[in-house]
Amino acid sequence: MKYQDNIKNVAALQPDYLGFIFYEKSARNFDSESIPDIHEAIKKTGVFVDASLEFVIDKINKHNLQAVQLHGNESPEYCDDLKNRHAKFVSVSHPLEIIKVFSVKDEFNFNRLKPYEAVCDFFLFDTKGKHPGGNGYTFDWNLLNHYPSTKPFFLSGGIGLEEIEDIKQFTNSKASKYCYALDVNSKFEIEPGLKNIEALKAFKKNLSEVLDYKKEHVMNYNVNEKGYYGEFGGAFIPEMLYPNVEELRQNYLKVMAEPDFKAEFDKLLKDYVGRPSPLYFAKRLSEKYNTKIYLKREDLNHTGAHKINNTIGQILMAKRLGKHRIIAETGAGQHGVATATVCALMGLECIVYMGEIDIARQAPNVARMKMLGAKVVPALSGSRTLKDATNEAIRDWINNPVDTHYIIGSAIGPHPYPDMVTRFQAVISEEIKWQLKEQTGNENPDYLVACIGGGSNAAGTYYHYLHEPEVGIIAVEAAGLGVDSGESAATSVLGKEGIIHGCKTLLMQTQDGQITEPYSISAGLDYPGVGPMHAHLAKTGRAEFMAITDEDAMNAGLELCKLEGIIPAIESSHALAIFEQRQFKPNDVVVVSLSGRGDKDLNNYIEYFKI
Amino acid sequence: MNRINKKLNEDKKLLSIYFTAGYPNIDDTVTIIENLEKNGVDMIEIGLPFSDPLADGPTIQASSTAALKNGMTTEVLFEQLKDIRKTVNIPLIIMGYFNPMFQYGVEAFCKKCQEIGIDGLIIPDLPVDVYHEEYQAIFEKYGLINVFLITPQTSDERIHYIDSISNGFIYMVSSASTTGAQSGFGTVQTEYFERIGKMNLNNPQVIGFGISNNETFTQATQYAKGAIIGSAFVKHVTNNGVNSIDTFVNSILN
Repeated sequence: MKYQDNIKNVAALQPDYLGFIFYEKSARNFDSESIPDIHEAIKKTGVFVDASLEFVIDKINKHNLQAVQLHGNESPEYCDDLKNRHAKFVSVSHPLEIIKVFSVKDEFNFNRLKPYEAVCDFFLFDTKGKHPGGNGYTFDWNLLNHYPSTKPFFLSGGIGLEEIEDIKQFTNSKASKYCYALDVNSKFEIEPGLKNIEALKAFKKNLSEVLDYKKEHVMNYNVNEKGYYGEFGGAFIPEMLYPNVEELRQNYLKVMAEPDFKAEFDKLLKDYVGRPSPLYFAKRLSEKYNTKIYLKREDLNHTGAHKINNTIGQILMAKRLGKHRIIAETGAGQHGVATATVCALMGLECIVYMGEIDIARQAPNVARMKMLGAKVVPALSGSRTLKDATNEAIRDWINNPVDTHYIIGSAIGPHPYPDMVTRFQAVISEEIKWQLKEQTGNENPDYLVACIGGGSNAAGTYYHYLHEPEVGIIAVEAAGLGVDSGESAATSVLGKEGIIHGCKTLLMQTQDGQITEPYSISAGLDYPGVGPMHAHLAKTGRAEFMAITDEDAMNAGLELCKLEGIIPAIESSHALAIFEQRQFKPNDVVVVSLSGRGDKDLNNYIEYFKI
Repeated sequence: MNRINKKLNEDKKLLSIYFTAGYPNIDDTVTIIENLEKNGVDMIEIGLPFSDPLADGPTIQASSTAALKNGMTTEVLFEQLKDIRKTVNIPLIIMGYFNPMFQYGVEAFCKKCQEIGIDGLIIPDLPVDVYHEEYQAIFEKYGLINVFLITPQTSDERIHYIDSISNGFIYMVSSASTTGAQSGFGTVQTEYFERIGKMNLNNPQVIGFGISNNETFTQATQYAKGAIIGSAFVKHVTNNGVNSIDTFVNSILN
């Protein structure tokens, strides 16, 4: 945009973004003193080509820009610097949206996107031409069939009224799955920088149906820049924790994107944890329930559960950040053991907080942690269980702000923890994709099922499928003695929006906002909150939530023993119990995350069934 | 002018005392406030107890758990305080965690505070940027001062940001710790106090965490406008009940 009246007229059409080019060589260069007042919902976007950071920041400040489109050869480091400078000099609370442009002609190497994943909010695909943008013809959109990312993108390059049918077709194709916006320019111009309002109106009218559909269905289930999943998440932390959490927030994506880090993580998962974990077709179980059940065998991991995926990732992160003292919370002791294990592996000091009551209930895991060299500290406050152990770990971190890393065991806590834990656990769905393709020819199941306490195994199981609308997601909570019994952990039903351990999520609490103690026979599911991603999945209806009682879970656990020769953890038994309650079609492919093995629960099984 | 600002303008070092509402007994709230004022305390932080007080050490945790067991709630506290301004003139601040306020409704909570005559709030787990973006307008509408914490790890840049959002005083946490964890200040702390002092912030600073007696109070107020005592006072009422508050306050001031 260039001319004041024309800007106002286009703004009246309520686009989501409005672009202003700050590039002297362009005929559309915006050289007015100011942008007229436009509705605040329209994001004013500065378009730059290899400009200096100072120049960009200056324009952002001067014109109150909310987004930038980078059309030149800006590097990932440039994007990152820009973000940081923006936070420092413009606004901490309103992060800048960075849209990185890639020019496409007959082919495109999608590997080029990777380094930008962590530092940009959107990609934009434009036609490669003589100029950086505004060339007036389209590229072959079918190339986007191979789009490997889940980052939403803008489609650009020569889009005009004549392309409406093509766009409609495109929006129905797989290639458009992550298409977030259409970017139009030269085809709607009377002269460079002057837009044809009537043509834009016609374009918008013709596409309103598809655009609305897209808006509704290209729901973003990933975390945003500020750490929110929809309305849930964030970082509600005391100032004492700010430096630690901020250090992590600034570094986690960068570190995870480093080739060295990835290589070390993958190698340990393979050689030490024993990944990939098998995807096993449970034939007899499938016959019984007349559907196709596949078990993702996280129970076969070293230490017996999915927890180790995350602790391996976080211990490598801690090392990269120069921390040499590790703290963790644990409920049943599974995450404590997984943390003690990786600390032994790396030779780092390990302190595990565990509720006094849980220490008494879970003696074998306490012994394991001690054998692995960890110090187990009883949490004596409050209800002396998992939530209090978490409080104690947070207090420890407050008291040791410099040399300590806190390995949170679930997809909970202040941002970036839920996202970081989810990304480490996402190896589960990454494997399911290729394993299922190998076994069935199709990488998408009809349903994914996982149990949810805080929700880390579930988050990992869903992660690469969140934006595949044809894959149903089922989240299984612990109903304890029954959802209405007063002894339950079914957070999605019983919880209200609130703040626990640094994040806004669904949370079991009194009317007065005091956090209550949940109950489940399974020590891994009795957390009073749920990870913010899951709260968002519940609220948006993306996931179907079910609640399973102690009794149904125990029976389902025993059934798996008899039918498949696998003794599952009681947590995982909750996920298995849904087959008694919910019908699936004979041809449905249902992948269940078997998150842990049942060795740790033998005493519970023995007592419950009087074995 | 808000009572807090007025108090900060007085030419003296300020003693602020924290106590947990509803502890040791549910009905001690008003007695404690009146006794503190009578004995020369300048400002009071009324602790609204929370089930999961992340930033607090064992003393205040235990008092919070006990207060909740005694039946303390947001409603009960507001009811107890409804006539407090008939007898008490010094600034009163409610200190609590965000979730109970969030459940009560932030605006309803602020409105009620204004009605009662509460002057400010301290909410350790409401970060400054969330406050700035979502709640500052509400606080200001009801004339409430929100007090933010800084620690030895807080960067200068962030301190300036916090200073720009604050309109009362800055709560300077003496060291990286939960409440009640420290005893006495070493050079690390005094250097930090000096560093902040030299920043010429718009808001005066009041030091908290680790103040427990005359010595630490005197030391802290060399560097700041005042000091806050929490755990030491809670311990005192645990051991002595609410009848010997004069002894405690005198031991700090003299």
